[in-house]
Amino acid sequence: MSRLKYFLQQSWLLLASSFCFGLLIAMTNAALSDRIEQNKAAKLNDITKRLLPGAEVFQPVAAEIQIKLPDGTQEQARILEVLAGDKQRLGWSFNVHGSGFAGPIELVLTTDQGFQKIMGFDVLASSETPGFGDQIKSDYYRRQYVNAPTEPLTLAKTGDPAMADSQIVAITGATVSSQAVVDIVNTFLPQIKSQMQEKGLIGNVGP
Amino acid sequence: MSAPNGSTSGLYSKALFTGLWRENPTFRLMIGMCPPLAVTTAVKPALTMGLSVIFVLVCSNLVVSLMRNLLKPHLRIIMFTVTIATFVTICDLFLKAYQPQMSEILGAYVPLIIVNCIIIFRAEACASKSGPLVSILDGVGMGTGFTLALCALSAVRELLATGHVFDIQVMPKAFVPWLALQMPVGAFVTLGLMLGLINVLTRKREVATEDPEATVAPSAPAAPVPATT
Repeated sequence: MSRLKYFLQQSWLLLASSFCFGLLIAMTNAALSDRIEQNKAAKLNDITKRLLPGAEVFQPVAAEIQIKLPDGTQEQARILEVLAGDKQRLGWSFNVHGSGFAGPIELVLTTDQGFQKIMGFDVLASSETPGFGDQIKSDYYRRQYVNAPTEPLTLAKTGDPAMADSQIVAITGATVSSQAVVDIVNTFLPQIKSQMQEKGLIGNVGP
Repeated sequence: MSAPNGSTSGLYSKALFTGLWRENPTFRLMIGMCPPLAVTTAVKPALTMGLSVIFVLVCSNLVVSLMRNLLKPHLRIIMFTVTIATFVTICDLFLKAYQPQMSEILGAYVPLIIVNCIIIFRAEACASKSGPLVSILDGVGMGTGFTLALCALSAVRELLATGHVFDIQVMPKAFVPWLALQMPVGAFVTLGLMLGLINVLTRKREVATEDPEATVAPSAPAAPVPATT
């Protein structure tokens, strides 16, 4: 009992201030989270417009698509059907994420309308090392994904980066970050593709 | 406050102005050197970082000053860290909500303000020993000094690396950009040259102010020389 009293005497200020500071952060987060989500959605749409030229309408897919992550947990994928102004489907866009060298990496991945080819990816958030790992944002690395098949990708140290195939050439000095992007794509893409086929969302695609 | 009015206002002005030049954190004390090297490629992110540091410095100084009489000596560093981390998190959320582009450019450097030693240094050296008003003024002064240093460095780097300042074309179109100044080496070179320039100017000023005393010095008894090993 006396030890508890001593502990409280010594640390009451830390406990009380931690509670107050936690409350302050929670209130700020509650007040700003909607706006932060809106900013993220706007950025996602902008990136998708760049990756799928002509995109104007972004329609969330209502079907529940569950993704099993490498750590064993499950999460629901957020998939957007991307349409042109005349409501013609241009492709699909979704957020994917995983662990990089220096922290989490969040990407926007787009595919064609029939889910046969990757149309490209862009980085939504990453804290990879500037000058090394953050070269996953470079055109050199990202171009390799354009027109690559929507099947498991492999990372190679050498090869022809201009070839549109399932082999991705690693960035020199940033192999871990290059591998992280390949792993993220391999985690999400096959699962999304198979579940969308099961639910009849892709297969007999329009014109 | 038992101090007379004159010395009180002197205390306030000292708290406010010391950080601008005499104890400028970047150019004079050389502490918190990560942002001056990392976020000074352009003026806009440097200014955003500076304003963020001012916000965190003022808020944490105020809170530390208010709780200074309750602080246990062995728990003070953890209290400072918790306080600073709170305001950095709030600042980070505000940037994500209202300046998403700047938040993205600054990336991990905004959360890293938590470990910026200027803030913990001012909490220890000033806020934990002074009243709220002095602590706030100290935060404003030190933060402004830091912001001015960031802006000066970034203006030179942006001007020579792109020909622009604040995204406004300044150099003639024939100017060939020195792209190396946007790279890490550019940060070190610019900072080194600016520190050298400031040291030269300061030394000239010190020599100019010391000269009149030089005539008095010979009559003064020589100071004992401490034994050194």
